[in-house]
Amino acid sequence: MNINGVGIVFNRGRGIKSLENALAEGWKKPENDCYKIPEEIFSDPVIMRNMRRADNLSKMTVLAALDALNDGGLLEEDKESLGIILATAFGPHPTTFKFLDDIIEYGDKNASPTTFSHSVHNAAISYASIIIQNRGPTLTITHFVESFYQALILAESWLIEERCKNILVGVADEYGEVMRYICNKKLNIARDGKIKPFLFSKTPEVVPGEGSVFFLISKTEKAKYASIKFSCEIDKGNEVDLCVLDSDGMTGSEEYYLKLTKNYNYFASYTPLFGSILTGSAFSCLVSVLMIKNQKIYASPVTYNPYKINLCDKTETRKLNIISCVKYDCSGEKIEFFVTK
Amino acid sequence: MQGFRFAISGFGIISACGNNISETISNFSSKKRNCGKLTLFNSNIECPVFEVKNFNSSSKNMRSLNLAFEAIKQALAESRLLEYKDSLRIGVSLGTTVASQLNDIDFYRNYKLKGEAPLDSVNRYLKGNLADAISRHFGFKGPRCTIVNACSSGTDAIGVGLSWLKADFCDAVICGGADELNLVPLAGFNSLGVVSNELCKPFDKNRKGLNLGEGAGIIIIEKEEICKKRGFSPDLFLNGYGLACDAYHLTAPRPDGSGLKKAIEKALTEAKIKPSEVSFVNAHGTATRDNDKTEGNVLKEIFGKDIKFLSTKGFTGHTLGAAGGIEAVFTALNLKLGWIPASAGFDEFDEEIGIAPVTDKTEIKGKYAISTSLAFGGNNSALVISRI
Amino acid sequence: MPEVNEKKLSEIKAKLKELLVSHLNLQHIKPEDIKDDEILFGQGLGLDSLDAVEIVVLLQRHFGVKVKDMNEGAKIFYSIDTLARYILENSQE
Repeated sequence: MNINGVGIVFNRGRGIKSLENALAEGWKKPENDCYKIPEEIFSDPVIMRNMRRADNLSKMTVLAALDALNDGGLLEEDKESLGIILATAFGPHPTTFKFLDDIIEYGDKNASPTTFSHSVHNAAISYASIIIQNRGPTLTITHFVESFYQALILAESWLIEERCKNILVGVADEYGEVMRYICNKKLNIARDGKIKPFLFSKTPEVVPGEGSVFFLISKTEKAKYASIKFSCEIDKGNEVDLCVLDSDGMTGSEEYYLKLTKNYNYFASYTPLFGSILTGSAFSCLVSVLMIKNQKIYASPVTYNPYKINLCDKTETRKLNIISCVKYDCSGEKIEFFVTK
Repeated sequence: MQGFRFAISGFGIISACGNNISETISNFSSKKRNCGKLTLFNSNIECPVFEVKNFNSSSKNMRSLNLAFEAIKQALAESRLLEYKDSLRIGVSLGTTVASQLNDIDFYRNYKLKGEAPLDSVNRYLKGNLADAISRHFGFKGPRCTIVNACSSGTDAIGVGLSWLKADFCDAVICGGADELNLVPLAGFNSLGVVSNELCKPFDKNRKGLNLGEGAGIIIIEKEEICKKRGFSPDLFLNGYGLACDAYHLTAPRPDGSGLKKAIEKALTEAKIKPSEVSFVNAHGTATRDNDKTEGNVLKEIFGKDIKFLSTKGFTGHTLGAAGGIEAVFTALNLKLGWIPASAGFDEFDEEIGIAPVTDKTEIKGKYAISTSLAFGGNNSALVISRI
Repeated sequence: MPEVNEKKLSEIKAKLKELLVSHLNLQHIKPEDIKDDEILFGQGLGLDSLDAVEIVVLLQRHFGVKVKDMNEGAKIFYSIDTLARYILENSQE
């Protein structure tokens, strides 16, 4: 799968420049124990003109998807058959709670239809397709920590069976007050504001985040950025140059990540820049994609390393062919894909 | 020239129309509509609903997941696929709406009032991702995915399974959808003015809107060669899938129906068949003014005025994420039986639609059938199913 | 008595304009900028079918008025004026 366009909206801003700046600046203290998207990002003219009723999940999806599409420079005639896949771990939960607010305050019969329409998981992608005007296949999936991985499998399937030639594949997840309450009860919030990806703790700490990342994936001969593969035939001699860990505290014990030191010998992690997001592997993927394109490894923002693994703590030019992106789920099952030249 | 096809080696169903295949056939034959007052939870919205009866699982007990399990058990028993779970890559692709939402009102009410609430419903939700829970429960080795495409989720989940098989990501897929009755969609659809306070009348001139229902519909699709290798002779097949977007409005379908038209055409192209080869259509037919008008006109345009079609939502209500799965099962079942039931609820022809569904049990002669779904947000999907 | 009705009508119009701007998230419009004869749907404010059902709920919540027949919707929802008059007529019943 070749990546020809990318888009991102997160706490540090919108677009590749904001990601590159964040990678250069390193870790930043979260506000109010979380990494929320600044409100000013949503005052984009496209949003204001077409999405007056939309919630933040829909807005961040549209911005990231549009950016990836524009970055990819798709021809008008190809936009009509464009496919879109959105993966979300929790969907528009703040909007669902807003709908419940209506039911509680005004009764079952007087709840807002507008709020209800936005509380369905596929509202975000509906906005994206209305603004982009694609008439191809559009699908929203939800699978908690595997959401992005399963979206990639589906995208690859669509390309292989030629359901479409170009697909926008991405993730979006939002943080809200009820989620804050749940995270406080179920997880350990990092009081120093730092996700420590190399601590490999049984009870890791989180700093919840939110955001959206999209990739324009196409069946082209060459890739503008990089390719994504599910297997790299490492047993046949191909070597992984870097293993990017998506350890962010969201899926319980992170001791499993230590197993990777048997197979790989150079590590990095960028989760402290984005925050803890169940669909965070898309964000880690984007950094890996940038590294392959720029042939440059970025410094991991938080390098606390009690196990003394060989980790990347400075930004440097480097020949990179294959980067492994790994996340472990709460049962210790590994979710891995590769970003390649 | 035949297109590709994948074998349907088993199916399972649970809905207000019956807790299994034989009950469903019996209710189809007798035109029995098991609709009634809401008993599963409290609401002052008075409207008929299609609840699954004699099924001991409440919303406090992951009802959608349990409905899915029931239908999957039936399908697995028919296909005997479970014996091969270690040697075959078996995928799970399921559609839903309610099970994917963190929407427990008691939890939220407590949180609002007291600033805290027990997390039982949250923990249930975190364990209740349909495809994930099913795949892990059985220890399957293939891909897994929960589709949340509103009312076309079930159909799209089957489409996803088809895509996985074509791309060789797995050898067999358990696919379909499940959804339980829930206050959020009830209040939501009611606020949109599309819920009828009478029994629904799909495609009827005097239709007033939908009735909500619940249930699960599952089909198992496999590579034909694998099916035969394990001694199973399939007589039903999945031949094509089309998915197209309206790109029009958050809630209203594109009036010209071009999205649905595109989805149906894509499915027909994949199956390499002409519209004239389709023996019947299991339509989405929700009984809302907009859906039935748009969909009916598209069916008329593509298949002609004489096409046999029906909406089975007169028997099940609108089961949201389960609808596509349930209707795929009905389509396969009806092909196998060689007849379709009356389109329950239809009485009077609507000139604005221009075609009418079948009003009696009707014999089916051809090999192919189509099941359509239209969803909020402008998704349109169609499946081509065939018999030997 | 016509005088009382005009005053009441005026109050209803003002409240309607506030509700429309806040609940329908109408950007860059102040309630006082909306004319009484401003067309609500299609042109004018450019509202759509989702806004229509939202207005139905707003009427229920804030004025206790039900729209019994949505087929009459086009007439009732034509402008602020027609909407306000509908509310006034149905509140008096």
